[in-house]
Amino acid sequence: MTYILITFLVFLALFLRFMLGVEVRSILTFYLLGLIIYLFSFTVAEMPLFGSIDSPAFNEVPRRYLESGVAETGALNIVSSIITDYRAFDTLGEATVLFAAIAAVIATLKSH
Amino acid sequence: MRITARLVAPFIQLYGIYVIVNGHLSPGGGFSGGAIFGSSLVLVAISFNLEAGAKQISHHTASLLESGGVLGFTLTGLAAVFFGGNYLANRAAGFPLGQAGEFFSAGAIWIITIFIGIKVASTITTLFYNIIEKEQTVGATKRTDK
Repeated sequence: MTYILITFLVFLALFLRFMLGVEVRSILTFYLLGLIIYLFSFTVAEMPLFGSIDSPAFNEVPRRYLESGVAETGALNIVSSIITDYRAFDTLGEATVLFAAIAAVIATLKSH
Repeated sequence: MRITARLVAPFIQLYGIYVIVNGHLSPGGGFSGGAIFGSSLVLVAISFNLEAGAKQISHHTASLLESGGVLGFTLTGLAAVFFGGNYLANRAAGFPLGQAGEFFSAGAIWIITIFIGIKVASTITTLFYNIIEKEQTVGATKRTDK
């Protein structure tokens, strides 16, 4: 099976190079990317389904947020209480990144 | 198009303020409400020329609001330290929580959401004005060279 695949790939490369005039460098680049995608797809196939019960993201931390989120923070929107109360330091980091991006854009465009 | 844009822009801003202020009761929060508020100013700048859009919020005011947003976030965290808790604490620092479901509840969440909303709105406006003005000046010089 692999021999047929290798033969097909070599013939495809020769056809592209001599009939259509594509450079060898770009052919080899696409082949390398295809190999990397093939190897990564095995990892993706092993991941649990979206929202299944036995995924390792359901430990005691989201349970604590869901059960005692309203009583501890007083907000009905649990997503909002997570990003501004339980993990407010990460939101501060995101606001800083937005600010730095705008400062970089203004500094680049105003200097010309 | 111009009459429609000028009529619709206050309603878009009202909806944006609604999404920001009800961040702790309904889905929304600071980031999406700020984007809605900023897109109303972009709409006015697109349908008219750029000077009418820049008269709504000048450059100086926009940069002042953006810095004020991040500064307000940091000062809220420091206020929690002054009241006796950790940095950016909510209930351990004595902010009034109130009833769940009321409008004035969840002490520090409300304040932080409003600051984030102001910051994101001025970010979108500043970005749009800078990119369009750069393209206008570069395009004008290229045309006069030929």
